[in-house]
Amino acid sequence: MREVTFLEAIRLALWEEMERDPNVFLIGEDIGRMGGAFGVTEGFLARFGADRVVDAPISETAIIAVCVGAAAAGKRGVAEMQFMDFISYGFDQVVNVAGTYLYRSGGKTPIPIVVRGPSGGYVGGSLYHSQQFEAWFFHTPGVKVVQPAFPDDAYGLMKASIRDNNPVVFYEHKYLYRRIKGPIPEAHEDYIVKLGSARVRRYGEDITVVTYGAMVHFALDAAQRLEKEGISLEVIDLRTIKPLDMKTILESVRKTSKVLIVYEAPKTGGVGAEISARIAEQAFEWLDAPIMRVAAKDAFVPFAEPLEKYVLPSVDDIVFAARELAAY
Amino acid sequence: MRTRRKNGQQTVAYHQRLEKSDLIEIYRRLWFARLFDEMLYDAKKKGRLRRGNVYGSRGQEAIMVGTTYPLRPDDFVSPIHRDMPVFVFRGMTVEQVMCQVWGKAEAPTRGKDSWSHMGDMNLGIVHSTSMLGSTIAVACGVLWAQRLDGRRDRVLVAYTGEGATATGPFHEGVNFAAVHKLPLIVVVENNQYAYSTPVELEVPTKTVAERAKGYGIPGYSIDGNDFNAVYDTMCEALAHARAGNGPVLIECVTYRLQGHADHDETRARQYRPVEEIELWEKRDPLPRYREYLLNTGLFEESELPTPPLDIKLQIEQAIAYAINSPDPEPHTALEDIYDESAGVSL
Repeated sequence: MREVTFLEAIRLALWEEMERDPNVFLIGEDIGRMGGAFGVTEGFLARFGADRVVDAPISETAIIAVCVGAAAAGKRGVAEMQFMDFISYGFDQVVNVAGTYLYRSGGKTPIPIVVRGPSGGYVGGSLYHSQQFEAWFFHTPGVKVVQPAFPDDAYGLMKASIRDNNPVVFYEHKYLYRRIKGPIPEAHEDYIVKLGSARVRRYGEDITVVTYGAMVHFALDAAQRLEKEGISLEVIDLRTIKPLDMKTILESVRKTSKVLIVYEAPKTGGVGAEISARIAEQAFEWLDAPIMRVAAKDAFVPFAEPLEKYVLPSVDDIVFAARELAAY
Repeated sequence: MRTRRKNGQQTVAYHQRLEKSDLIEIYRRLWFARLFDEMLYDAKKKGRLRRGNVYGSRGQEAIMVGTTYPLRPDDFVSPIHRDMPVFVFRGMTVEQVMCQVWGKAEAPTRGKDSWSHMGDMNLGIVHSTSMLGSTIAVACGVLWAQRLDGRRDRVLVAYTGEGATATGPFHEGVNFAAVHKLPLIVVVENNQYAYSTPVELEVPTKTVAERAKGYGIPGYSIDGNDFNAVYDTMCEALAHARAGNGPVLIECVTYRLQGHADHDETRARQYRPVEEIELWEKRDPLPRYREYLLNTGLFEESELPTPPLDIKLQIEQAIAYAINSPDPEPHTALEDIYDESAGVSL
């Protein structure tokens, strides 16, 4: 085992996949000479050369499109969005071009690409460096959506995403990059985390918390606080948002009969809405309370600290909601 | 911008080097393109084709034939909605193309998408979408894959319209190709109208080719109804791109004689002056090429039938094949959304 930061886990996964498969290449803004805005690709240019570590112009459309076209011709491109907010520029490539490609090629041309980059708030990034727009792609057929919370999952999911034959949008929460450390397996173990498998990060009895990304850590903090009050939370880290691991969710719901869904994106139309609907459809009789959600307010992520704190969900929000559910 | 005049001496040479067998083949391809369009319009009109639009290409045949004829078998193309015959010129069967038009199970898309939104990477045909500009950017990726494989001499011909040159992805794609000197040849079929919008409301410069200046690449503006001009320019562009000098933009000036698609025939004669349409009817590339062939002295009138009836028969047989071939099973609508064949243990 290697003890690494969340960021280093992603860096190592990329590095090892580049070493393993010559078809893998990286493309993005400032990823070569500078090693990426957050340093995820530091040292890659010297090792792998400019054809496999491509410093692209500021062209998110072209960055993703190059991965798509190269994928149609047998390569595996990994596109870095300097901030995931900028994927809006490349939206058409993900949704209308990459997402549909296999379908409109009669199943003959898979598009193995990864579009990855830092997402999420809590760092004062303001409107365009803080967003969590995973719901856009959650809603898109043909695309998979991943967001890890721990280094081992980031490592294993990145490897799985690169080897997967479909377009994967991979969210790396920037709040976790250097704050979260943990063990990851050694390179020779070829460790993979299967896409579409959630993980119970904490077992509990009273309430199922379904969450992903940075919110997993918030939920775990809340669980620790509530333990002292005699409320036991079971925390499910989805890891992959699409495909959704309903089996793990439903198993837990049948045990606890109470559900709290936590996500960092604006509440309306978020991933939690779909999870809530599916639980209502598939496990209604097992429920002892309304399904509840803690999410961001339906606003942008503002700059000033009091504003950002007001909009984004907090550990307190989770604690209060869980108490309410426990008392129901 | 480079003009043909500058290199006039050189450009004349290419088409003059063609053998008689080539000339006949080119003549037949021009007719194939013409008949393809005519017969599908007819099928739609008569109710044999009941679903989907027919996007006319009448008058644009010289572009399709002239840009594909000098290609190598291992080059790539990404045809758009007025280039349907290009699929056949690059190796698809007429039956496959007709199955695509009729939305049949045997179509390259298995009935999932319509008309020109198909491809076959084994034939070097890159799939385009309705967002025409976006394919220019995708083309860069196909060429990047060749670079990684050490195949820098394989050229990709990306077709687009003058209207699509106004899109962001067109700019990002051409810019990327120019920065990295990718062998991309962008063929802009300037047929004067993007649906109803005239070129002057899409492009601020006098020619579309002038856009090339901004990317530091050669831009040609040529008569797209003159096969020899298209062929010669294409040969020159191919030499440039294969030599590693980067992309080329070729604006083929032509005219959309029909509506945007078959549904648009009435309005297309309202939003455009009828005299303009009549003027361009006189510039029809087919009689022009036939006249050129007769002037070479190599042909008797009887060798150049109008049309070659065997081609008509070939297309009719393909249409009949498509009509009689099975529809896709409803449940296949949920197939090919994800590919789980690779797994993760490669």
